[in-house]
Amino acid sequence: MSSSRIRSPSKFTLEFGLAFPLFAAARLVLSLTNLPHVLKYDHQLSSPLTSYLNLQEGIYLFKNGVDPYSGGTFRHSPLFLSLFTTILPATGVGSSILWTLGDASGAWALVQIWRARQRISSSQRDSLIAALYLFNPYLFLPNLAHSTSSFDNALMLFSLMFASQGRASASLLVLSFLVQISPSSILILAPVLLLLITSPVSRLASPQPLTSSGVQFRKSGLLLVEFIAYFTVFTLISALVVGNWIWIPQTWGATTNLPDLTPNTGLWWYFFTEMFDHFRPMFLMVFSIHLFMYIAPICIKFQYDPLFAAFLLIGILGTFKSYPSLSEPGLFLSMITIFPELYPYFRHPIITALLHFHASLLMPLFNSLWLNQGTGNANFYYASTLVFACSNGAALIDCIWAGLRIAIGEEETGYTVVQE
Amino acid sequence: MLASWKARLFVGLSLSLSVVKASGEQFDEQLTIQSLRDGKVASTFSFKTLLKGVSPRDPRTLGAEDASQHYNVFPLALGQILREYAVTELHLSLNAGRWNYDRWGYPKEPAVGTGAELWAWMGDGGQVSVDHRWMGLRNALAGLFCASLGSLDEQRTTSPDRSFEPEGMLPDWGVPHRIRHATLPSENVCTENLTPFLKLLPCKSLSGIASLLNPHRLFDADWHGMGIHVLWREDEGVEVRLTFQSVSDPVRSSLGRKRDWSFRSLFDRTIDRQCPIAKTSEITVALPSEGSYSINPEPSVVNAGKASFDVATIDKPLDVALQWSGDFQYVSGFDKPITPFSVQRTLRGSSQAHGQLSVIVKNHQNSTQQVVYLETMPWLVQFYLHTLEIRVDGVRRDGIFSDIAYIPAVPHSRPATFQGILTLPPSSALHLTMDVTKSFLRYTEHRPDAQRGWDLPPAVLTVLELDSNTSTARHPVNPRIYTSTLLVDMATPDFSMPYNVIIFTCSLIAFIFGSVFNLLTRKFVVVRID
Amino acid sequence: MDPPTAPTNFWTQLLLRPIQRFSRNGSTNASESRIRRRRAVVSFITRRLWLLQLTLFCTGYLWLLIIPSPRLGRRTYIDENALQPGQVNTYWNWGDVHAADKNLAQLEALRDSNATSKQRAEFIRDQFHKLGVSASTQNYAFSTGNTITNGTNVYGIIASPRAPGTEAMVISASWLSRTGDGDGTLNLRGVSTVLALAGFLKGYSLWAKDIVLVVSDGHLDGMHAWLAAYHGSTQSNLQADHLDLPSGVIWTALNIDYPGHSFSHLGIFFEGNNGRLPNQDLLNSFQRISLYTGGVPVLVYDHLDSREHPDLSGLPPWIPTAVRKHPEVQSYVYQAKNVVRHFSYQARGRPSGVHGLFHQFRIDAITLFAVPATGPHGFHAIGRVIESTLRTTNNLLERLHASFFFYILTGADRFLKIGSYLPSAILISIAMMFNGLRIWSDLAWSEDQPEIPEKQKQTQFTNKKTWTRRTRPVIKVLAIMIATHVYGAFLFAAVTSLWFSDNPKVASPLVFTIFAFIPLIILCALPSEKTSRGSLSATLKALNLCLASTVISITALLNFSLATLLTILMGVPLSISATSKKFAVRFCMYNVYIVLGIGWLFLQDETLKAVWHWEILSIWFAPFVCLVYTPLVLQAGLVCLLPQ
Repeated sequence: MSSSRIRSPSKFTLEFGLAFPLFAAARLVLSLTNLPHVLKYDHQLSSPLTSYLNLQEGIYLFKNGVDPYSGGTFRHSPLFLSLFTTILPATGVGSSILWTLGDASGAWALVQIWRARQRISSSQRDSLIAALYLFNPYLFLPNLAHSTSSFDNALMLFSLMFASQGRASASLLVLSFLVQISPSSILILAPVLLLLITSPVSRLASPQPLTSSGVQFRKSGLLLVEFIAYFTVFTLISALVVGNWIWIPQTWGATTNLPDLTPNTGLWWYFFTEMFDHFRPMFLMVFSIHLFMYIAPICIKFQYDPLFAAFLLIGILGTFKSYPSLSEPGLFLSMITIFPELYPYFRHPIITALLHFHASLLMPLFNSLWLNQGTGNANFYYASTLVFACSNGAALIDCIWAGLRIAIGEEETGYTVVQE
Repeated sequence: MLASWKARLFVGLSLSLSVVKASGEQFDEQLTIQSLRDGKVASTFSFKTLLKGVSPRDPRTLGAEDASQHYNVFPLALGQILREYAVTELHLSLNAGRWNYDRWGYPKEPAVGTGAELWAWMGDGGQVSVDHRWMGLRNALAGLFCASLGSLDEQRTTSPDRSFEPEGMLPDWGVPHRIRHATLPSENVCTENLTPFLKLLPCKSLSGIASLLNPHRLFDADWHGMGIHVLWREDEGVEVRLTFQSVSDPVRSSLGRKRDWSFRSLFDRTIDRQCPIAKTSEITVALPSEGSYSINPEPSVVNAGKASFDVATIDKPLDVALQWSGDFQYVSGFDKPITPFSVQRTLRGSSQAHGQLSVIVKNHQNSTQQVVYLETMPWLVQFYLHTLEIRVDGVRRDGIFSDIAYIPAVPHSRPATFQGILTLPPSSALHLTMDVTKSFLRYTEHRPDAQRGWDLPPAVLTVLELDSNTSTARHPVNPRIYTSTLLVDMATPDFSMPYNVIIFTCSLIAFIFGSVFNLLTRKFVVVRID
Repeated sequence: MDPPTAPTNFWTQLLLRPIQRFSRNGSTNASESRIRRRRAVVSFITRRLWLLQLTLFCTGYLWLLIIPSPRLGRRTYIDENALQPGQVNTYWNWGDVHAADKNLAQLEALRDSNATSKQRAEFIRDQFHKLGVSASTQNYAFSTGNTITNGTNVYGIIASPRAPGTEAMVISASWLSRTGDGDGTLNLRGVSTVLALAGFLKGYSLWAKDIVLVVSDGHLDGMHAWLAAYHGSTQSNLQADHLDLPSGVIWTALNIDYPGHSFSHLGIFFEGNNGRLPNQDLLNSFQRISLYTGGVPVLVYDHLDSREHPDLSGLPPWIPTAVRKHPEVQSYVYQAKNVVRHFSYQARGRPSGVHGLFHQFRIDAITLFAVPATGPHGFHAIGRVIESTLRTTNNLLERLHASFFFYILTGADRFLKIGSYLPSAILISIAMMFNGLRIWSDLAWSEDQPEIPEKQKQTQFTNKKTWTRRTRPVIKVLAIMIATHVYGAFLFAAVTSLWFSDNPKVASPLVFTIFAFIPLIILCALPSEKTSRGSLSATLKALNLCLASTVISITALLNFSLATLLTILMGVPLSISATSKKFAVRFCMYNVYIVLGIGWLFLQDETLKAVWHWEILSIWFAPFVCLVYTPLVLQAGLVCLLPQ
């Protein structure tokens, strides 16, 4: 019901400085319970690319002198491997704290983005935004399952935050790291570059082409070069960590070749389980390219508000990426909180909310009906993922409609706004 | 008519006999029968052909023309295969059923893993790679024995050199030898495999001990298995040993009263004439230690609780029979394990997504034992090694599992090999658990009987003799224990759905795509309505 | 969507039509007429929405009523070709019957010497050993609250010849019979049948699967402990030994329950934990085998058909004979009896016998209940039926998957497919959903709007959103709803507490009063600032209805009986909940809902049973009621209680 909750202005009068630690503490308590051990097996909370079990397995193999990329289970980035084998704790209380920190920092970054967008130092709304990020079930359940997608989200938000604060290098550095660990996040590169040469302030209500407001695009070229530089550096580091290049097909290749057909909340897994072998490569290509087809139109249409464009592309990712879990759509839904100006113009918010509600109840039930009880077959779960895709699509369409519709403003009686 | 036939037979035999004398080939046959504690009877046939003074082919000569083969007794079909693929040592076993170590102890022939098992040592060198020759070998044997050994492909092939050491010797060509090993637990064994097996025998099943191999009775046994073993010893030459083991249950056929057996009752045959080619042809019966019994005919030799009959000398038709006085009663503790240690391997959990592999090894001796534990697991089931946990009598213990060698599985291509040395504390139960995750297959990869699940190969435990000087030095042939095979059920997609899924998913994507682009491209207008 | 509109609007619509038609021809903007048309349709529907709701409700409830009707169901059939039921000659003969009788005598001697469960188990294990069957025992202990139930199971395994032993079939008998839910009636004949079968089945080499014979202690607890150990599932309040003897994957299980001296029919019990049902092929093949091989008629449960047994009174006598004796009525009554029994098991998620515990491990199992009677059948019949059924399940090449998992068995050979009963509950939930959505959209129209003619109100249509979200107090309502679920959690904690189970007589009324007054107190405590914008209670009702309808429709897919229960308890009550001006009225209505919501507290033993089932067998009924049902009804109560 999160999006219907979002639709009302903040009733929170809590001081952010007080509320935020409170929420974080609550989350920490949750993650210190037995929940992580129960949830870590759940396919909807973590995909094979972000699963905690696979991460631990990879670390174990790495520590015992077996190349984790020589097998089929471990598909995390070498950067994670190096971090978790050296500084970061991967087990026990340490990991719980680490993951909670991941989400907390994400929430903080989101609040920073909001502030940057509103050009304010603090507002009544901060606490609400933080709360809706920290207590969005789509976000904290994967986090409790110790899915690394929580870090993906945090990094995504950080790169957007730096971008909206105009700190180009930091933003691009974070983004390149993010793309290293989840390649499909490359989608938001374009809006981030745009964001860096413009400002995060909301211009949805007053659209105008960038060319008119003399923006020099040459700068973005340099930024792109910078990004590529960072990216190469990280790639080299990974290669050094592993000592060979097998990891590239194992990690990046997986997002396009879909070697592991473990069910998740996305549309890919069953499609390619049922796909005829001789069509597989063709459809893999189509599905991968399809993701990138949205970049140009959205960035052109919303060139005057690149942050919003990035937000929409995140929504696209959550709906269409190859190994999604609940946390990608969760990020999209939680980001809606920083666009309050849209709320008046949503199309069918209640329908979207109910769709999401149905999907989030159906998916776990049908999953266990298929895999544990054995009374329902795979189609049950597939159907529920279709419902989930519908609800994500509906949310996306609501936001796009609102984003465009807002430019026309309030209607007087006797007039109505349509598209032709 | 009959006379003339006999005459012809005699001529033929004498001819072949003279041939045998001439060439360096020797054929020995033996049958061992033993009554087991639970009233069952284990009979082991062993036919050994020795090709003297011959050494296996060097792989580097594969390109060149091979020396021509002339065999009289040695099975030509097999010999050609061995030469063609330059196999130094070969072991093929086809078994049906689970050998119950606890009740029956160690088998005479160690290879009793359920289904088909094939392993070979081959010299590495020359232009033809080992794997290529391995492929050719398994296909050739598949053709020879009418078994689906062809499906022992790279998805099931491993090279566990520690557990499967050569039983013979490896010639020193200055090139390393490699092992290839594969098992097919779901392989069924029946008559179509026995017929080609018999064809390899010099006397087929016409005479000698082999004439007892009556498919109708053998395949009604509780357990049966056949084996082909080729090995080379420097001083002797190439040896081919064909074995057939069976465990039959006279108690069942006598409605639970008697455990008496005879050739008639076991095989529904008797030995009418000897195999003239056989150098030795011996039947050994392990005499029971307790109870009053009678055995007839009178054995030629009796020593060390073994009665042996020489088929050549004893008068035929020969029908060895063992009778007990009184009805059969199951002794208390008839299923107490008699092997030094026993193994229990199960796959726990009823979920189709993940499970837990649980292996319980009980050491029945009050001395520490070391065993090599080998898992070869198809990629369908993937291990989570970090969850490996070993408990001894319920308490967590580390350092019990040493020398771990692990080759992770690769989806759609390579099985996992997991090998290590378990140290069993005296008279205790060691419990090894490890989480596993079950793969999700494409709908084309499922078997026709997808809902049954997949058979997983047995684990193999090999005893390590603890020598005082070095722990690595071992007896050439260690007793191997094969655990029971496992059945893992994979989650199945709906096989009737491909078109529907393609249609549903594509139309959903098209719908979202369409409406997004609709919104982005069409322009907004304000309409006056009234 | 539209508010209820004045009659004038209809006429304006009528007048508009020609104008629209005209303006379309000459209009500069084609979308204008399209919009008009769309709005006409929308308003047309919205004005008649109540009618739609009413029809949906009525259809749904009527459909529920006709589920037992003989016209709705169809005959059962075998779907899995491998089963080939009843195609074999059975070898079970009088010698085996004699063996069973001998076992029975020994067991009765044991009973009379009231031996401990350990002695019993050891005796049975020795019997197995005498037959040459590997057997072992398993001790277990459940701790619930401060009571500890412990016992000893015994099980034997007949290894199948020439098979890898990766598959297994189970024949089980619990020491206690299910008659009276394990109140102490012994299942001696069932146990002796298992022992006799052990000796008999071992004599044949045709088994392709291992045969596992389990004699479980107690009624449900023993088998639960055994299964948990077999599948390595752990449970905090269960201490159970490891199983020494392994076997393969279990696909099917038959549980024998033979309490009486002899029997007239064999009854099928099939409901499992949390309403999971076995694959129908198992039931059907058993039914056919029992009828054609064993010559024993089959019943669903132990319901004798009043048509075959006139001494049984089917319907109350005051009903005219013409109706009572009408065949259709009679079959309706008989099937209704079965359906109600089925609902009573499935809705509460209770297993109707020991077999029900297998289901959670994806094992299809049923209980064969020998309906006690003076004759004519005995060991001979049941032995043959079980042998033949085993031969059938022995034929299986795959796990049972072909036939149905979702069905209602109206008779031994009649059933309803999911398609023919599911719509009833779904229709009702749709009606509730419409109701909720309608209230939601009507909330857009606040009272202070001046009455404006239809057309302009139409134009408000898209416009209304702009001030909808200003009028609906969603955050507050969501807070209330979450609070009610937290309340449910507390209620659950209270009910599962040790104190409650110790002295329910005192506890249940106490808990009831406390939890009835908590919401009142909280409401009084809260600062009741007048919400100028939209009615809080209406919004609450809207969301409550949406939530309830979602819960019902999703439950219907998993556990139809539970969904039916919900539709009966929540369908109408939640739809008619409304606030009023007078506090007295509001308070009374609130009390009604409270009774509806937590009145079950007064059914103490029922409550305690549910809690026991939750703690031992982890059956979800108790938490579901506390965490989902009660909060939903309470929300309706609050809808009434909240000021306008």
